[in-house]
Amino acid sequence: MKSFEWVQAHNIDDAIAQLAPGVVVKAGGVDLIDRLKEGLDAPARVVNLRGVAGLDAVTAPGELVLGPLATLAELEANADVKKRWPALATACAHAATPQIRNMATIGGNLAQRPRCWYFRSADFHCRKKGGTICYAQEGENQLHAIVENRTCAIVHPSSIATALVAYGASVKLRGKKGERTLPLEQFFTLPEKDVTRENVLAPDELIVEVRVPATTAATRAAYHKQVEKESFDWPLADVAVVLEMSGRTCKKASVVLGAAAPVPWRAKSSEAILGGRTIDEHAAEAAANAAMQGTTPLAKNGYKLPIFRAIVRRTILAAAGGAA
Amino acid sequence: MSEEDRPSGITRRSFLTGTSLTVAAAGILKTSEALAADAAAGKVQGPGEVALTMKVNRVIHHVKVEPSTTLADALRFTLGLTGTKVVCDRGSCSACTVHLDGTPVSSCMTLAVDVGTREVTTIEGLADGDKLTPIQEQFIAQDAMQCGFCTPGMVMSCAALLSRNHHPTLDEVKTAVAGNLCRCGTYPKVFAAAMAASGQKPPRGTQVVAHAEVLHDADAAKHEKERPADDPPPWPTSDKLKIVGKPAPRVDGKLKVTGQAKYTADVRLPGLLFARRVVSPYAHARVKSIDTSAAERLPGVKAVHVVERNEGAKLRNPPKVAEKYPTVRYAGQAVAGVAATSQAIADEAAKLVKVVYEPLPFVVELDDARKEGAPLVYPGPVDMGGSAGGGGAAKGLSQKGNVRGPARRDKGDVDAAMKSADVVVEGEFVTHVQTHSALETHGVVADWKPDQLTVYASTQGTASVRDELSTVFDLPKAKVRVVTDFMGGGFGAKFGAGSYGVLATHLSKKAGAPVRLMLDRKEEHLCVGNRPATVQTLKIGAKKDGSLVAIAQSSHGNGGIATGGGVGWIGTSLYACDNTRSEQSDVFTNAGPAAAFRAPGQPMGAFAVEQLIDELAEKLAMDPIALRDKLDAGPGSPGPGGNDAATRAARKAERHLGAERFGWHKRRKPASDAGVIKRGLGMAQSMWGRFVDLDSACEVRLHKDGSIEFLSSVQDIGTGTRTAIAMVVAEELGVRPDDVTMKIGDTQFPIGPSSGGSKTLLAITAPARVAAWRVKEQLYKTVGDKARALPLKKAAAKLPTESISAQATRSADYGGDPHGGYGGVQFAAVAVDTETGIIKVERMVAVHDCGRVINPLAVQSQINGGILHGLSYALYEQRHMDRQTGRMVNANLDQYKIAMAKETPEIEVVLVDQYLGRTATDANGIGEPANIPTAAAIANAVYNAIGVRIRTLPMKPAVVLAALGKLDGKQVSL
Repeated sequence: MKSFEWVQAHNIDDAIAQLAPGVVVKAGGVDLIDRLKEGLDAPARVVNLRGVAGLDAVTAPGELVLGPLATLAELEANADVKKRWPALATACAHAATPQIRNMATIGGNLAQRPRCWYFRSADFHCRKKGGTICYAQEGENQLHAIVENRTCAIVHPSSIATALVAYGASVKLRGKKGERTLPLEQFFTLPEKDVTRENVLAPDELIVEVRVPATTAATRAAYHKQVEKESFDWPLADVAVVLEMSGRTCKKASVVLGAAAPVPWRAKSSEAILGGRTIDEHAAEAAANAAMQGTTPLAKNGYKLPIFRAIVRRTILAAAGGAA
Repeated sequence: MSEEDRPSGITRRSFLTGTSLTVAAAGILKTSEALAADAAAGKVQGPGEVALTMKVNRVIHHVKVEPSTTLADALRFTLGLTGTKVVCDRGSCSACTVHLDGTPVSSCMTLAVDVGTREVTTIEGLADGDKLTPIQEQFIAQDAMQCGFCTPGMVMSCAALLSRNHHPTLDEVKTAVAGNLCRCGTYPKVFAAAMAASGQKPPRGTQVVAHAEVLHDADAAKHEKERPADDPPPWPTSDKLKIVGKPAPRVDGKLKVTGQAKYTADVRLPGLLFARRVVSPYAHARVKSIDTSAAERLPGVKAVHVVERNEGAKLRNPPKVAEKYPTVRYAGQAVAGVAATSQAIADEAAKLVKVVYEPLPFVVELDDARKEGAPLVYPGPVDMGGSAGGGGAAKGLSQKGNVRGPARRDKGDVDAAMKSADVVVEGEFVTHVQTHSALETHGVVADWKPDQLTVYASTQGTASVRDELSTVFDLPKAKVRVVTDFMGGGFGAKFGAGSYGVLATHLSKKAGAPVRLMLDRKEEHLCVGNRPATVQTLKIGAKKDGSLVAIAQSSHGNGGIATGGGVGWIGTSLYACDNTRSEQSDVFTNAGPAAAFRAPGQPMGAFAVEQLIDELAEKLAMDPIALRDKLDAGPGSPGPGGNDAATRAARKAERHLGAERFGWHKRRKPASDAGVIKRGLGMAQSMWGRFVDLDSACEVRLHKDGSIEFLSSVQDIGTGTRTAIAMVVAEELGVRPDDVTMKIGDTQFPIGPSSGGSKTLLAITAPARVAAWRVKEQLYKTVGDKARALPLKKAAAKLPTESISAQATRSADYGGDPHGGYGGVQFAAVAVDTETGIIKVERMVAVHDCGRVINPLAVQSQINGGILHGLSYALYEQRHMDRQTGRMVNANLDQYKIAMAKETPEIEVVLVDQYLGRTATDANGIGEPANIPTAAAIANAVYNAIGVRIRTLPMKPAVVLAALGKLDGKQVSL
């Protein structure tokens, strides 16, 4: 990669203060270094956030509060996360490789750029990089979006986001002008808004905190990542289900699909079917079928539909049958 | 002192790298606070070298590196700690695993400047001096290594697991190494090593069953009588030998588990320059001009070379006026190269080379290239000679558009016979491109000196590299030396110097300095070989009693710009049939050249014929093994080998040994399971030729102090050749394998065989034994027969000269031709999720023959590797080309998917000894026979599970779902 200036940030505000064109902030560095090696980005300066004390805290006084540098490995192993937000723990445990989980941070994971092989290769100047063509439309789109895929067919790369959105997480952003908190679901943006971006981070903003609402004994959750290879693979399809139960009835359902759309995708029709009813095979199947209604698969990714139907159904049942 | 600092001063190594200084314990000891101060916040450092302090393996180092230098590169280049390997360079394969404060991370994705106060532990720092850790000892004992390139990363992952979990379950072990890629297939033994290191039993099936059956060829005794007078008497069966035939740990195991083994990627020489190729982004283009001036002016650039060699096939009628530059025929083809004092400068210089291309129409997929009016890859008919890796298409075949051939093999009258058949089974079988993906990429360090060219090469054939460079540069062979101490896998792609090797040599000659050119992972996928995609129709006609009357085979294979897209000879030769026809054509595309890949053509041929034979069995209500018992009898069509009587006898024994071990009787009707997960059992057979290479020589030296040397240019590509030869020499001399100093992989030594075709041990163990025997006889002739009663060391002490030596060259097989072949039978148990299309291979049983087994432990590892290659080929691997631009989109190791730890089934290996009486050792190879039937066995098991035939590889979810009718018609494009 091209070399750069390197500076260790004193603290997160110091990092934010330095944000400017040509300056990037590094957390775990996993996504950043991949992009630098490919030549997709060539910053003049890298500001290192890693190593700043206190940014990796994971606390659960009621809700779950995550510092931006909390690693996926820390989340996977955290007793509170495993017990009270199991879908999140599962998502973290199945991400990447053990080595990468030790390095990757929650902030970096949420802000990472897509894995679309046209985007990730310097060989293709695609629409997302300022070009005029989305190569996936007519090309190799096996791994791409099955919905909201006409402008740009990326799938959102964060499987952790799938679980966090299902839990109703929020994210706090801080920039030079101050802070704002928004639901994680609104953090991600569709290509139509601005095809060159995947989220609302302003050029001078960093993620400083992620909060996940408290769960109760009535919360039931499950997460499933469907891969081709168990060992190490990006998802073909993933799903997170969080149910608020009242006895055997589901009061409120949250069903979020990953690897389906450019953003974590709420299967709203599935949620509508589940809300107010007993979760059984029949309900789960109806919800799963509903999740795939209105999808617009591309030439090579239609196989994702039966896979989603299967895993949405199974994950709803796993959530309903499991503990909080 | 709580911190252990090993005093070392300035080593020659650190002097050479120029930027590293280790600190003597008595001198400046940095406290962790002081180290932290060095990483002081706010100080802007770089670009340009930055002073860093790092604690690595308990030693504090002061280094100067760019902020952009990864920890992996700082370790490997600045500190000379080459044990940590770089394979994918993108965090996808964990080969570069090191510990930071005991936590495993990918060092290729860690910046050196970001290490801070965290303590780095590399593979070199695990052992306490000579005392290996239990995991390292068990890696050796269980043979959890082959080429060794993944081994440091694997050991580091296991060590981290065991330090926090003293009694891991098998699943926890698999999870700990889930990120570690091994192309040789060591996973089963890695699991065993981790379990054993924690005092637990290795998983079921880990122990190889050796000598399960002993077959004596009927003519063995007759053949042995024909041996030359100066060959030793034949060995008895292995049960009567001391070393040969018993499991032996690798003699180079310790070097591999401690990171001491040096690969081409690790070679460092004074004044080393780094190269980068300039490659075409276009799949097809004429090069109009190349301007290297800007690159040459960049400070640090020492040489530039424009490629003048063509790649691929040769035009039969070349144009009268040659193009100024070679035509670009695939995206990624090199047009020039630069060499500079650092990789970063070379990379920058490559970008400054101005190439003007005239893009031309291109075609990258087999179906498209066959169509009428498809863009032409070559403007006219071409021929392609064989390379050192074998192959080469039949000369003079007709060519229409991009389709060359067919190469035909006919026997009898297929059309007439097919009409007389009672039953016909047929199908079209499709396979996709697989890239070799050895962990160590192709590459060389070329050192051109006025009187000698020395090339360190990652190769399967040291002599093949020497020969090509000698020709290209018009040098006498005696002035070209090629060295391969260790190499990180080849699988058929690493023969000859390669375009990259020729380029590096040009650069070295021009610069007057050694030049390192190692391909990166993307180049590795694109440029240096692949297994062609194929489309094959196979039709078999049979009588009611099962006997075959006709076989008609037609195939098209896509080897990119190269030939080699065949489907082998197994389809028409494995089973007895009087009327067979094989028509195999090559289809050129604008993609990287194919290269021989672990049994070229045969796995594709097996995938078709073994499924059709199963279909035939079903139609005739016969058990698939019973049908094979009937049909696997002579004569099949002539082919390169594997259908002789001895090989058929081996397969017969293997079918039944395997069936019993596997529990074949438990096989049920297809689609027996009612639920979503459906299980099934299947089997398939292997067939390979026993290729005799007489160009195989060696020397054994005995010194007066009793030390013994074995010398040959033969190389160990991870199969365990070094150990097997040591065992053979030790057996003959009555010593232990460790007593034999193995000097191999260097063309300064007598020229041994290349490692391919599964013929290495077949070629080299016989002359190794013969040379040892001759030296022994010479010893006693010199010091007297009474010395035979003494230990060898005492007898040698009586020598009047410092040393004696004997050479030997492989003599022809005793009793002459024919050469025979290899069998092998594999059984697979699968589970198919019929809603997601995911196939899981749960268990395999593999029964194989390889003549006299020298080292059952290493043979088992090879078979595990062949099976894992076949499994990965069957389920995951596929090169994806973008048709719009002609470029590969998954030229990496996260989207080019290779089977890893959690995909590894339980594999039981059973070995059959076969004594043919053909050579002084009767040893054969195993690499390819082990890979041929695997995909077919899995496909047959999948049919048994779901009741639907899958005729496409890889059997990805989309393929399985389509076969099950779960995709609506619109979505079937793959």
